[in-house]
Amino acid sequence: MALTSSITTSSANVVRAALTQGKRDIKGIAFAASLLLCLLASLGMLTILMWDVIATALPVFDKRSSGFLNNGMSNDPDKAGVADGIWGSLMIAAFVVILAFPVGIAAGVYLEEYAKPGKLTNFIQLAIRNLAGVPSVVYGILGLVVFVQALDGFTGGRSIIAAGITLAILVLPIIIITTAESIRAVPQGLREAGYGVGGTQWETTRDHVLPYAAPGILTGTMLAVARAMGEAAPLLLIGAITGRLATLPDASLIDRLQGKFTAMPVVIFGWANNANTPGELTGLTFEDLNAAAIVVLLGMVLVLNAAAILLRNRFERRRQA
Amino acid sequence: MNSKKRRVVLASIVGLSLIAAACGEDEGAQEPTTTPAAEQPTTTAGEGGGEEPTTTMADGGEMELAGGEVFVTGSSTVEPISVLVSELAGEMTGGQLAVTVEGPGTGDGFKKFCAGEADVTGGSRAIKDEEAATCAENGVEFVEIEVAIDGLTVATSPNNSAVECLDTAALYALIGPESEGFSNWSDANTIAGELGSAYADLPDAPLVITGPGPESGTYDTFVEFAIADHAEERGTEETTRVDYTQSPNDNLIVEGIEGNDTSLGWVGFAFYAAEAEKMKAIGIDTGDGCVVPTEETIADGSYGFSRSLYIYVNVQSAAENPAVASFVDLYLSDEGIAQVGEAGYVALPADRLEASRDAWASALS
Repeated sequence: MALTSSITTSSANVVRAALTQGKRDIKGIAFAASLLLCLLASLGMLTILMWDVIATALPVFDKRSSGFLNNGMSNDPDKAGVADGIWGSLMIAAFVVILAFPVGIAAGVYLEEYAKPGKLTNFIQLAIRNLAGVPSVVYGILGLVVFVQALDGFTGGRSIIAAGITLAILVLPIIIITTAESIRAVPQGLREAGYGVGGTQWETTRDHVLPYAAPGILTGTMLAVARAMGEAAPLLLIGAITGRLATLPDASLIDRLQGKFTAMPVVIFGWANNANTPGELTGLTFEDLNAAAIVVLLGMVLVLNAAAILLRNRFERRRQA
Repeated sequence: MNSKKRRVVLASIVGLSLIAAACGEDEGAQEPTTTPAAEQPTTTAGEGGGEEPTTTMADGGEMELAGGEVFVTGSSTVEPISVLVSELAGEMTGGQLAVTVEGPGTGDGFKKFCAGEADVTGGSRAIKDEEAATCAENGVEFVEIEVAIDGLTVATSPNNSAVECLDTAALYALIGPESEGFSNWSDANTIAGELGSAYADLPDAPLVITGPGPESGTYDTFVEFAIADHAEERGTEETTRVDYTQSPNDNLIVEGIEGNDTSLGWVGFAFYAAEAEKMKAIGIDTGDGCVVPTEETIADGSYGFSRSLYIYVNVQSAAENPAVASFVDLYLSDEGIAQVGEAGYVALPADRLEASRDAWASALS
């Protein structure tokens, strides 16, 4: 592989040199330079942003390391913490994993492997693609009307269950699309080999197609979870709390899931509206706390992505073995 | 071997989701949609849940607080006080009195409150007739309790030495509905003069306005204080111009005011007090000379632009849920009401605090 590509590159160079008679390809160089510039500009913006946030956040972790992660929300920058937000975001991620993963992957497999190509299938595929582009606030309104108001006996009203189901639905089209794309990339020969040795469609899909597509599916699903964890707008419509969240110390898991909730993006949104009076003990303001909360949220998403990459590498290694 | 493992994983995922669904439905069937803390039996409301089993003695020893959940919504201006009282309640009961507080805004708060979704709502203004009608339609009885005073601060940049004081006529001319398109302070002189303003000699300087938008209680209060009377007199709408920078985020308003040498804007007094070095408060002249907002001028009423902050309590939930009654008891106790100062607002004078306590006591009897 590497050998062929180096041969093609060098032959391309020889041909180019012959055509231009040894002159420099100014346009080509300018094009390459502008590409590089665009890359550096976007990377630079990202670096500046990250640097700014992390530099502001460091004193917070320095001055109140454990309190910041263990405390609930508060209007006092000396006491406020992100524990409520972390719990809420993890629960929402759990809902997405439990609800959206099986349904989304199954739907993607059906669309690619089982559905007969035709007008209806094309229409469904088009609809799912459009759904993936619907703004998240619209899903928030769906959640408000269906899960908060209509099904409030089951969800408990403005609860983490309502939020979790809404966000699971929000990312469902993304999971279906990435699953379908990964399965489409599976070589046809693999399926034919499976059928050739007498495998049924179910056996072939299960033992050959899905394992081959697993790395791609996994990447898509983890991106979906990261997206769900970063959404604020639908949660605000559903009624995530921005002031102070209090639960009874002896509340059961079901009580907590049906009770009031918040999540990291909403905590960040709420703190952005708080007065910037420095705390008496630490001198930290909510601006500082917000930077730290952003770092925590980024950390959570990064851990998830890292987990996805590790899993993907494992699948790929197994496939090659 | 591999496929077996995968099958186990697949089966357990499906199993888990089934269990989750089943549990949820059971729960839904057992617990119909009642207010939180419905496990507490209904008690007579008189003493605010005095005889509840899950009580803890307050520091003073004279107050007993019931356990349970309370939900407070309403004004983002009142929210900081409620959060502090909520934290106090949590500390005093070891978390048994769990008060969740949010602050989407006075109007949004009344919507939820009158739909029976919240036990208490905060208001940076008194309830409107339409809102009270909605409450009545839904059978929500409530009691209005004044808890604090907030000063509205009209401010400009510290670098603006040309403007020290304004009256409502000048503010109407600068920010009222007829001022649309004015980009210079002096543009407003004609209207200010027609209204008989003593400050109709506004400087020739760019006018850059930043303030809260119509969703904010602070906006409503500003319209009420500065614009309503003149709008009636001139037959215009009771609103502001629309061409100014609106933000629900007080910090952005402070930045807007700070960011331009001849800016104009308005925020709640607490935000002004927190960022006082970035802004210059403009004195308000209501006919007796120029008064600058300070804690003293707001408490004694000499500063014209001050307003009361209220909490509204759902009387039925206070009667049914001792936790709600306990929370309001604590709110109005000496310790609770001391949080008003902590939150950056001005405490009620003694007679008005007494009136609030009386209103709460008579609502329960």
